[in-house]
Amino acid sequence: MNTRDLLSIAIGSLQRMKLRTFLTVSGVIIAIAAFVGMLSFGAGMQQSISKDFDELGLLSTIQVFSSSNGDASDSTAARILDDETVGRLAQLPGVNLAYPLDAFQVTVSLADTQVNVSAQALSGAAAGTKFYSRLAAGTPFTSDDAREALVTSRLLERLGRVDPDSLVGKPVVVSAEIASLDSGLVHMFRDADPEGARRLMDVFLPGRGDRSEAKEILQAEMTSALQRFLNGYMRANAVVTDTLIVRGVLDDRMGGPWRIKPLLVPVRTARRLSPGDFGSSPANLFAYLNSGARIELGGEEGSRNYPHVTLNLDSRADPNVVADTLEAMGFRVFSYAREFREMRKFFLFFDMALGVVGFIALVIASLGIVNTLVTSIVERRREIGILKSLGADEGYIRVLFLVESGTIGALGSGIGIVFGWLITRVASVASRIYLNRQGLPDMDLFALPIWLILVGFFFGLGVSIAAGLYPAARAAAVDPVEALRSD
Amino acid sequence: MSVSVLRGAQGKDEYGLIRTVDLCRYYGSGPQEVRAVDRVNFAVEQGGFLGIVGASGSGKSTLLNLLAGLDSPTAGRVEIDGTALSDLTRRNLAAYRARRVGIVFQSFNLMPHYTAAENVELALYFTDIAKGERRSRSRDILARLGLRDRLTHRPADLSGGEQQRVALARALVKEPHVLFADEPTGNLDRKNSEDIAGLLTELNGEGLTIVLATHDLDMARVCAHRMVQMEYGRLAEGTADSQGPGDRR
Repeated sequence: MNTRDLLSIAIGSLQRMKLRTFLTVSGVIIAIAAFVGMLSFGAGMQQSISKDFDELGLLSTIQVFSSSNGDASDSTAARILDDETVGRLAQLPGVNLAYPLDAFQVTVSLADTQVNVSAQALSGAAAGTKFYSRLAAGTPFTSDDAREALVTSRLLERLGRVDPDSLVGKPVVVSAEIASLDSGLVHMFRDADPEGARRLMDVFLPGRGDRSEAKEILQAEMTSALQRFLNGYMRANAVVTDTLIVRGVLDDRMGGPWRIKPLLVPVRTARRLSPGDFGSSPANLFAYLNSGARIELGGEEGSRNYPHVTLNLDSRADPNVVADTLEAMGFRVFSYAREFREMRKFFLFFDMALGVVGFIALVIASLGIVNTLVTSIVERRREIGILKSLGADEGYIRVLFLVESGTIGALGSGIGIVFGWLITRVASVASRIYLNRQGLPDMDLFALPIWLILVGFFFGLGVSIAAGLYPAARAAAVDPVEALRSD
Repeated sequence: MSVSVLRGAQGKDEYGLIRTVDLCRYYGSGPQEVRAVDRVNFAVEQGGFLGIVGASGSGKSTLLNLLAGLDSPTAGRVEIDGTALSDLTRRNLAAYRARRVGIVFQSFNLMPHYTAAENVELALYFTDIAKGERRSRSRDILARLGLRDRLTHRPADLSGGEQQRVALARALVKEPHVLFADEPTGNLDRKNSEDIAGLLTELNGEGLTIVLATHDLDMARVCAHRMVQMEYGRLAEGTADSQGPGDRR
């Protein structure tokens, strides 16, 4: 007897008990549809994130942060990110491009609308990376000193626009308050109390006052000077205004760590708007002082310090090796490749959890298969006896019943996958409508990759065949003499 | 109808001799023990026709099941050409049933959902014969047993005599060395019984070894070369050498 004969007999038997077969197959269909549907959700989420990572080139992107561990004797104890460091990072093996985050606060005006947003200076090379490639409209900067800007779709909305194309080519007025060491120093001296100098002279001139009084006066004067400096540094800002043409609109509606600043300005144009040096926050200044570096007062062309630098890696470079190198140099590092690896671990557990739920459904369906086949044995005792009298051995009878359970499994799995796919399509349409209404980016939360189709099919088939083992063993053990005697 | 073609290419039988040696089949144990077959000894020559007669419950069917390898003896053995069936593996025992013996039952035991042709073809599923050959042999044997126009009929659509002829065709299509017939006319009327008896006689005339179990003494006398009578699981004394009128060899 060949496989075709075996299949013919098995399918013939299933066809004769149509209703029971239909109900049993339906159980497998529902279980596999649930199994595939749930894993499809996990696969869809993973695929969506992978797609974002790939489209934005995040797997070959590393962000480097300055560090400070307080150990001044260690050469790697504190690392600042100034222009010189950015240049050195760009020379590291495997690094294609290094560009800093030069962020500052600005006010953007369009017609009667004014919004305060964060802006970022960006070089043409950086703007050409995948990270900034999602343009909903327009084109990138034409040059590093062009009076142009890119805005994000979030800023577009805040400016009262919906259509990205409606803003491309339009001028926006950008103004910024500049804080710098210069203004801090000016205020420290300009606002000084003239009496302070006299008091200092009194206590430090020989023979005048005692030492404790001198210490108190010195502390008071130093504190007053620092307050005046910080006042000048933080508050006595100059306002700089520029008119920039919007070249393009970036789609940034996704969340996550790769959120970009709402306004991107060519790097040389931004020098006029950026506070430079240490930004508006004195914390940056103190971090710099803590590094032991010498402060050099900068103007538009001076050296700057950045909170972090983004490295764009060569596609052949191993992000982990580069990250290890940077950490060995004393920098703090955020590697998207590492994050992605962690995410994959999470998705593995997520998929396993969903798979367990589907597995339970399939186990319940497999009980239906056992019931169907055991009932079938009772009804087909004589048939089994006839087959044995004609020369069928126990192995054949066992295989016959396993083929029947396998046929139920194959049918149920095949149709279940189609049903699962249909369910995910409906859920996908519903979720897209919901996301759009919430103003979230359009994404397919469900995916049915080939591996999932194969896993769903063979999982259903395997469990069904396993469910047939017990009935098959019982059928094989039927005594032909008893069976032929039965009615 | 000539049945010479039914023996076809079988040629000389390899199974020249069926012999039972102290064959026993008991059911239950202790006071409940039933001795369906009890120390039965006989032999069947190649081409012989043995009639086993006896009342219902005398152990005829059990004896036939043991000879056909459907049942296992409690003690003793069945030898085919000197090989004990109990020495065969389960697989070889199945192969013995598939290729060497044909069995006909009182209740026909046809597959109710299969056509006459499919029922006959089913007997060849467990041989190495190709599908095309299986189909043509099944149709030929049914045609030669007078069922040419019943090929696609299911058992429920056939008369008792026709069903038994389908069962006989199923047993013969594999060209067996021995045919075991267990009350083949038990469910048939006189006319059909005579037809079946005639067929069996013709087949034996072509050299087919037949063992017939029946309660119909007349039929056994007409067909068999030799008869043994069973009583309470044992061969009745003096019947082992009984010669029927059918012994024409």
